[in-house]
Amino acid sequence: MKLDVYRRELRGEFRRLRRDPVLLSIVAIVFALLAIFIIFPLVKVIQYSLWANGSFEPRYFLEFFQKVYYWRPLINSLIVGALVSVCGTTVAFVFAYGIARTDIPGKPLFRLVAMMPIVSPPFLIALSAILLLGNHGVITDALNLNWDIYGLPGLVLTETLAYFPIAFMILEGVLSKIDPSIEEAALDMGASKLRTFLTVTLPLAIPGIASAALLVFIRSLEDFGNPVVIQGRFRVLTVAAYHAVTGRYNLPLGSTLAIFMLLPTLMIFVVQKYYIARRSYVTVTGKPSGIGLKSTEKRVKIPIFIAMLLFGGVILLVYGVVLVGSFTKLWGYDHTLTLANYIYVFKVGGQYVWDTLRIALVATPVGGLLSILIAYLVVRKRFVGRGAMEFVSMLNFAVPGVVVGIAYILAFNTPPFQLTGTVFIIMLVFIFRRMPVGIRDGIAQLQQIDPAIEEASSSLGAGFFRTFIRVTLPLVAPAFLSGMVYMFVRCMTAISAVIFVVSAGVQLLTVALLYEVDQANLAAAAAYGYVIIAIVLTAIVLMRFVVGKLFKGGLTPMRGE
Amino acid sequence: MKKTRMVFVLVGVLLLGLALVGAAKDTLTIYTAFDADQAQVYIEAFEASHPNIDVEWVRLSSGEVYTRLQAEAANPQASLWFGGSNTSHIAAAKAGLLEPYKESLAWQYIAPQFKDPAGMWIGLYVGYIGFVSNTDFLASAGVDAPTSWQDLLKPEFKGEITIAYAFASGTAYTTLAGMLTAIGSPDPGFDAEDEAYVAAFSAQVGQYNSSGSAAATMVGQGEFGVGIVFSHDILKKAVAPGYPVVMTFPEEGTSYEIGGMALIKGGPQLELAKVFYDWAMTKEAQDLYEQFYRLPLNPEANLAAGSVKATDVNVLPIDLVWYGDNKDAMLDKWSEVTGEY
Repeated sequence: MKLDVYRRELRGEFRRLRRDPVLLSIVAIVFALLAIFIIFPLVKVIQYSLWANGSFEPRYFLEFFQKVYYWRPLINSLIVGALVSVCGTTVAFVFAYGIARTDIPGKPLFRLVAMMPIVSPPFLIALSAILLLGNHGVITDALNLNWDIYGLPGLVLTETLAYFPIAFMILEGVLSKIDPSIEEAALDMGASKLRTFLTVTLPLAIPGIASAALLVFIRSLEDFGNPVVIQGRFRVLTVAAYHAVTGRYNLPLGSTLAIFMLLPTLMIFVVQKYYIARRSYVTVTGKPSGIGLKSTEKRVKIPIFIAMLLFGGVILLVYGVVLVGSFTKLWGYDHTLTLANYIYVFKVGGQYVWDTLRIALVATPVGGLLSILIAYLVVRKRFVGRGAMEFVSMLNFAVPGVVVGIAYILAFNTPPFQLTGTVFIIMLVFIFRRMPVGIRDGIAQLQQIDPAIEEASSSLGAGFFRTFIRVTLPLVAPAFLSGMVYMFVRCMTAISAVIFVVSAGVQLLTVALLYEVDQANLAAAAAYGYVIIAIVLTAIVLMRFVVGKLFKGGLTPMRGE
Repeated sequence: MKKTRMVFVLVGVLLLGLALVGAAKDTLTIYTAFDADQAQVYIEAFEASHPNIDVEWVRLSSGEVYTRLQAEAANPQASLWFGGSNTSHIAAAKAGLLEPYKESLAWQYIAPQFKDPAGMWIGLYVGYIGFVSNTDFLASAGVDAPTSWQDLLKPEFKGEITIAYAFASGTAYTTLAGMLTAIGSPDPGFDAEDEAYVAAFSAQVGQYNSSGSAAATMVGQGEFGVGIVFSHDILKKAVAPGYPVVMTFPEEGTSYEIGGMALIKGGPQLELAKVFYDWAMTKEAQDLYEQFYRLPLNPEANLAAGSVKATDVNVLPIDLVWYGDNKDAMLDKWSEVTGEY
């Protein structure tokens, strides 16, 4: 019976599609793009890891568990991921609780500081850790310590700093949306503040905490920029896969390692999206639940405030020392201030700035528009495979950058889609890798907008494009903007995927930065980092200004991952 | 009206973007294993003397150039491979990735041991592997700078040695060839003594790097105690900037590299590449090595003061051609022995 109903519905949807040729062709084009640029490369990875010379030969799969230098990096990555997930979520919870549930002063400042790791280029935090805590770092020398920051301690420290902001954003949203009346009820019935927190607030926040922790785990697992600087002998899987491909050109091995990286992240993605997200006790849409109960008790807020001050201070120190480093002549020995590092960056890297910018300037609007288009199709239109479209377009959220990079060189090195060596492959990596954030924000926003306005446009005779551009797009301007800002920031700061597809004609700033890191030119690397930060901040301000002028709407602050 | 304006702006941004992508110029594309700042000096000098040729270049380590040539064999993107240890050039020549060029002007005056008999590659410069030690570290650890391959195994150096991954850098692979020659039997390849030595050495390493010369800077900065690097990189990156370092050589004899240059088979601009090739062997071009302490192979080019010549150090009789030919097998073996790859 049920199957029959389903079949009838399906037939109906097909019929509807056939009656609307514009929608049909747009859906077909979007599906084709997703198939070519998301599914096909991943299929190639699986093919390369399992087949050799046309026959089934999973050589590296079998060797993976036999050779310590293959499986050890996976174990190491999982250890780092678990520790970073716990540390990052804990720090984020303190920050989120302080901002959402207490009346401490300086909240905008704390929020700004917590956002810094999101807009900063890769490597910088690890560089800073070496400048401060390395064998000859400022703090190491000052306190005459004898520790070793390279390896596990450095990885956990740098990645906690780098990825706690993602957890913070989720937890702030969750904590500020918990209905205060539930907590008031507990207090009225005589429960203590602590008991209320432990038995009411915390359980309500658990799904959010789980989501945040899993997301941080994924980000740590796929991190390339920090490990490549500070892993020491504690090899992690991303760097191992990178070396398998760029050092040995062993594509079957690289693909196999990629799959072992992909399996945990995909599993977590599915668990988060289809299990935890559905257990959320806070309503994201629907009627506003008002402002959460603010804790004004000194014994709660003073420790939180102090912890936030300390941690915020650490972040400022991290970025401050890199800034000083970028103006220093010979770090560690000659601390004369100099502009030489910046002169070097503009002499050697002038072309890189230009190349990176022109790629970002194309990828940003194209990616922004495509994300909103997909969000629009998914939310507003009914067609066969709508769920599949959402899933596939969001898939790259869970695919580590190193895997995307390996997948793209496998997929686009030979006809029919020969793209290696062009700027297009770099743009495509950016667009398809970073679209999920724009799509997610677009979907969330569209779900809150009454479709009646668009229906009115259609009834008055406007076609698909006219309605989409003149009605939908202005309505979702905030999501459109945040999608574009995010895309642009990532174009300027991403490294893990694009490192595989850069070529002679095009150079990227982050690749130049990686090169200086490889050479241990810490000062030049720091200078590149701050050039990138300056460009990113300028662009964010400019984009807010332009889109603000165009839409005059209330703009949401930038969302991260 | 706001919305119309927005459409215009969006279309404008798109068009601007497409215009920026632009059309590719007709230029010479080269892969270089010289450090970016050095490559820039050489290439700008070339462009200054050849105003009608525009050089587009990518900096890769020599191992990466080799792997990239393999990847692009069906569709070569570059025409010339400029610099890097010639073991990679030898491996690439064996894999059929290079184009012979015996007609070059330099062919007559470069000694036979510095060029491929079939003309697949030619030597630009030579370099000798040395040890760079941070003197602050030596003082605080109470140990002398290493002067033999065996010295590197001293307990004081545990976790204090830095070198590149053997597969990622010509420096590290050249060092490996030196170790295998100096320890045990000098026959090429691993014997039992070599295996034991390489495993014990790897246990001393604090960090493996992706780039060969990085170790010189890291030791200068005091991050690690001892680095194994080419002498010209030690002079350029650790001695010249003023870091507290000392350079030593293994008394059993050290390893050396020939920096190579080659035309890439099927490269899109081979005629332009030959112009660059001929220029790179002139005295004018090779005089530029002086500022980087490299030892030019053009006999008329200037030498930097303080340079390390073959007469200054004991050089091992290393079969570079064999190590180039057997690079893949050697790297596999290295992974087995060290547990790194």
